[in-house]
Amino acid sequence: MTTSKRTKSLSLTTSKDTRLANLFPFGLVLPAVVILALVQIYPTLYSLYLSTTRMRAGKLTSVGIKNFERLLASSDFFESLQRTVVFAGSYLILTVVLGLILALLLNRRSALTPVYLVMVFIPWVLSDVVSGTIWRWMFNQSYGLIQVALNPLLDNKSILSNNDTAMMVVIAASVWRTLAFTALLFLGALQTIPGEVLEAAALDGANRWQSFWRVTFPMMRPTLLVVILITSIRGINSLGLILSTTSGGPGAGTTTAAVYLYRTAWQFGDFGVAAAMAVFLFIVNLILTIFYLRVVRVENNL
Amino acid sequence: MISSTAQKRIDAILNHALLIIFSIVMIFPIAYALMTSFKTRGDVITSPPTFFPPTWTLEGYQKVWESDMLTHYLPNTAKNSVLSSLVTVPLAALAAYSFSRYKFRGSVALQVAILGLMMIPGLTNLIALYQMGSQLKLLSTTTIMVVVYTAGGLPFTIWIIKGFFDAIPRELEEAAFIDGCSPLQALWYIVVPLARPGLFAGFLMMLVDTWNEFLAAVILLSTNDSRTAMAGLYDFQSSFQVAYHVQTAACIIIAAPVVISFILGRKVFFQAMLEGALKG
Repeated sequence: MTTSKRTKSLSLTTSKDTRLANLFPFGLVLPAVVILALVQIYPTLYSLYLSTTRMRAGKLTSVGIKNFERLLASSDFFESLQRTVVFAGSYLILTVVLGLILALLLNRRSALTPVYLVMVFIPWVLSDVVSGTIWRWMFNQSYGLIQVALNPLLDNKSILSNNDTAMMVVIAASVWRTLAFTALLFLGALQTIPGEVLEAAALDGANRWQSFWRVTFPMMRPTLLVVILITSIRGINSLGLILSTTSGGPGAGTTTAAVYLYRTAWQFGDFGVAAAMAVFLFIVNLILTIFYLRVVRVENNL
Repeated sequence: MISSTAQKRIDAILNHALLIIFSIVMIFPIAYALMTSFKTRGDVITSPPTFFPPTWTLEGYQKVWESDMLTHYLPNTAKNSVLSSLVTVPLAALAAYSFSRYKFRGSVALQVAILGLMMIPGLTNLIALYQMGSQLKLLSTTTIMVVVYTAGGLPFTIWIIKGFFDAIPRELEEAAFIDGCSPLQALWYIVVPLARPGLFAGFLMMLVDTWNEFLAAVILLSTNDSRTAMAGLYDFQSSFQVAYHVQTAACIIIAAPVVISFILGRKVFFQAMLEGALKG
């Protein structure tokens, strides 16, 4: 009796073992996958559902595609999209150009390199609200140091009270906060370029300008693509820093689509239309992410 | 024509000069905030403004001390931040070990999906999370923040840790398997100790990200008892108006832990960021 039971359980464990062995790697990822499914994937689908509803007397009622119709008919929404293009476009160009310059400067090693790296990196570890509070203060109408310094050039016009200059401030603040990260990515790519390649180019008579454009730049192209995609997504979804620097003002002067989404939901309480905007922005993000995945998959043989 | 050694000399000087300019521009706003935090209320609203405080005072810090910042907001931030980092890192390590060591059906698809989630920002999910939180009566709780931060941080943390696991040779574990170790024992006794810098990097990045997080905190937490430091600082903008010595003092207090840990652990930070964005 005991023996037979033992053999039985023994044979059971062997077959169970192989099955378990097959399930084991999946079991390891399961907790992470469950959390991501519940708190990342499900809310995205739920947003899609919310975008077809409206809150009436405390209850969600289905309204079909009315929220999207209202959104497309709203000039405020289109203006906010235009501001997103201006904001994200300028942010992208400045970040890539300045980030590349900073990386090239840092790539020339010296005893001071670690000091420079820490100095330029500190803004990156500050939060959006801390950064926003500081920039708001520098440009304070009456007592801000930069505002007062620029007064002679601007006929004492308040920088944050003018749409165009307020937009420039939030762009500058955003570039300032994330520049070092971009430079670090470029620096990583620069360091993978073998010194011999550049020496060979120099021996062939290439000057530094030529060797940058013909050797360094082509070798950095994958990184450049990744940086462009990461920076575009960041710019399009940038909200915390703009809110805490200008609150989207003056008026709607720095109200990008992301800020408009926030205002629509939490200032006007129109969650249906805000969800429609979230769906729209999500699709934009998804398209950029698919491009990103293509680049990264080629690089990593995934 | 300039000799090549002279040219090299000029290049080096120019390089340093430009880097010094970059460093000054990057540090200036922080230095100005630091100086402002030591000014008196009167010196903050003086025109024309000065960079250095004419009289040094701790008035701003004292006002922060009297507010709910140190008694409520910062402890809340620390609690959310530490708890979600403690939950995220082990879960991420298990998943990273699986991706690093096993090939199973759907493994590549899952890794690509996780990379995709890493790129897509949380902004577009906030409305749904707010509605879900309100239905489940979880708004203004630590639970919702830990869950949301964990889900937000997992993809990036998995990726960082996987990079470190990939660099550990498999032979060590294979030897352990021959000695009768189970895969989980091999992970715990061999891989985890060797990948300690990677786990530390993941933990540190999580701590900084969640410490600094603002949008989810301001949207999902509405009571004063649950408010975090970032949301509290945002409220200071209206409650302290032009009293920027108080606002900047709060900025310095809130930013100091992160800036100090960055300076101490910068190597780990740099490696983790390169790992997370590119190798991934």
